[in-house]
Amino acid sequence: MIEFEAVYYDGRTSARKPVRVRGYTLAIQIVGEGLRLEVPLGKVRVDPPVGGTRRALHLPDGAQLQTDDQRAVEALFPRAHPLEGWVHALERRWVYALAAVALVAAFAWWSVVDGLPRAARIAAGFVPAAVEVNLGEQSLGFFERNVCGPSALGAARQQALQRRFARLTAGLADGYAYSLLPRACRGIGANAFALPGGAVVMTDALVKLARNDDQISAVLAHEIGHVRHRHGLRMALQAAGLAALAAALFGDATSITSLATMLPTALLQNGYSRELEAEADDYAFQRLKEIGLSPKAFAEIMLLLEKDHKRRSGGESKDYFSTHPATAKRIERALAAP
Amino acid sequence: MALPSTDGGSAANAAGPGKRHAVEFTADAGEYFRIWIVNLALTIVTLGIYSAWAKVRKRRYFYGHTRIDGETFEYRANPLAILKGRLVAVAAIAVFYAVGYFAPLYQWILWIPLAVFGPWLLVRSLAFNAYNTAYRNVRFRFEGSYKACLKVVIVYGWLVFTGFLYPYFKHRLIRFVAENHRYGTARFEIADFKKPFIGAYANAFGFGIVLMVFLLGLMFLTVQGKAPYLFFGMAVLFYGGLFLLFAYIRARTTNAIWNAVRIGPLNFESSLRASDLIWLYFSNLVAITFTLGLATPWAAVRAMRYRASKTTGIASGPLDGFAQAEAQQVSVAGEEVADLFDIDIAL
Repeated sequence: MIEFEAVYYDGRTSARKPVRVRGYTLAIQIVGEGLRLEVPLGKVRVDPPVGGTRRALHLPDGAQLQTDDQRAVEALFPRAHPLEGWVHALERRWVYALAAVALVAAFAWWSVVDGLPRAARIAAGFVPAAVEVNLGEQSLGFFERNVCGPSALGAARQQALQRRFARLTAGLADGYAYSLLPRACRGIGANAFALPGGAVVMTDALVKLARNDDQISAVLAHEIGHVRHRHGLRMALQAAGLAALAAALFGDATSITSLATMLPTALLQNGYSRELEAEADDYAFQRLKEIGLSPKAFAEIMLLLEKDHKRRSGGESKDYFSTHPATAKRIERALAAP
Repeated sequence: MALPSTDGGSAANAAGPGKRHAVEFTADAGEYFRIWIVNLALTIVTLGIYSAWAKVRKRRYFYGHTRIDGETFEYRANPLAILKGRLVAVAAIAVFYAVGYFAPLYQWILWIPLAVFGPWLLVRSLAFNAYNTAYRNVRFRFEGSYKACLKVVIVYGWLVFTGFLYPYFKHRLIRFVAENHRYGTARFEIADFKKPFIGAYANAFGFGIVLMVFLLGLMFLTVQGKAPYLFFGMAVLFYGGLFLLFAYIRARTTNAIWNAVRIGPLNFESSLRASDLIWLYFSNLVAITFTLGLATPWAAVRAMRYRASKTTGIASGPLDGFAQAEAQQVSVAGEEVADLFDIDIAL
């Protein structure tokens, strides 16, 4: 026979009544002041155990027993919850907790390094090109309104550059409508950027910085690489996936502490971005070769861009915390391109 | 009711006629860590299906360690119901974000159903949580109707767009939420808390303006090229300032609300301090960042322990007389969708 102390609630009010419970093979007997009750074991529903929290035994008609005597409850209802009972056993031992840490860490590592980029690439495959065009047009609208105006280059110069761009994109047959948009942009210096769907914006400052037009072709080839490999879309998908993952794993504390996931997430984003830049570089080297130009032009313009950047900001480009791989590394790769 | 903080309990103040009941939070960070990590690992292994059970177990641990007058809270939700709700929620959220990413300019179209649907989510979510929370074997309930909630949102919701009148809307919404809660058959009553509540926002607003002026000055210097590295300092100031404001508003508004609430013979006294919260949130943030997330359960236990230590129930009569209400059924879909959209109108 099992005997334990409990508090009895009759199911109608919050009044508590200290009782003594005796458990037999088929029923429990509840005895307290002015109370003597017998309930068959089959009519008692017990909650699964969680940590050392108080156990509740639900009786017919909404009545309830609450007790801190874990052992008595386990003895009376030994296999009431096979699944959660097993989980409870795991939760009690540090060995299993450490194993769980290892599992979660391995999963997080794999997701970040391999799973998310792969998932983003696969998911991007299901997104029609029209969606990308739409996405690109919206970002372009932002630049046109806020940052960039029409190019100040002469018409002949612009035409020459358009011809170079046409040569780079000729016969790609990947479903994107490539277009080169020369623009005069405030505050972003010598630069070019690709928008999803095929628009490539190139600043006048870049054209002026380049020593020859092959160097401009090199930059444009890199941007075309971004479009072809759907980097805009993949970045968006990876960012969404990363945010969802961080929230799912660690979004448990109060809302402000979930800020804690922001910094690591931002760093990982930059890591992704560097990977995509390297992918676009590789494409540029290959495409330049295909149309009979040397990847050396890419190395040259990178050098010029870095000098220009240093002059403007007084800083040095660093590998960590930056969205582009360190320039020296990129130049090396361009020179070593097969 | 988001957490079982609906309680009263530690002694801190002048003696009144009522009996003081300390709210105790007896959870152990180490034990909760094991529960948290094991459930997280099981969620991963089952590709997310187990997450519903994980949620219930974690909540039951927190509720079961929250005590007033020696008695604990109970969380009674059925994990299967939560799993179903989550599936609906994931589908809804996928549509919402897909439109957001691929046609950001059109996302506003989705805000219209959300404005109509939002009050429904809020009401269902509150009802689900209240119904599944019990204390001394008496359930809480939420009786606010969709219609009444929509009315609050329509009549006062436009204030959100004015920016500085937003606190008034929030105050109406919280009044609606509080007044419609029941513990058994006892209504939650809430006295006028407009003044301290809006006062907290007004102070924060003033501080925010001072901060903005200071930042604009710095920005001017930066643009002039006199201090190129100030951008970093500005970011620190900006986020640091937001952080202080958040903690301050959280402390003051929580106090304002809970000091006004009354349930039958029970009053509350909440004395959170902004400076304590700033330290609490900041140290939690640092700990979570530097342990790569592993300090999350410790941070959660710590936050709840602080909250409990600053909350006291003052009972003018025995807590024995609350009567159970008629049973009702409450569906879970609202709760899970609201959860994912981060709709948090907990008291």
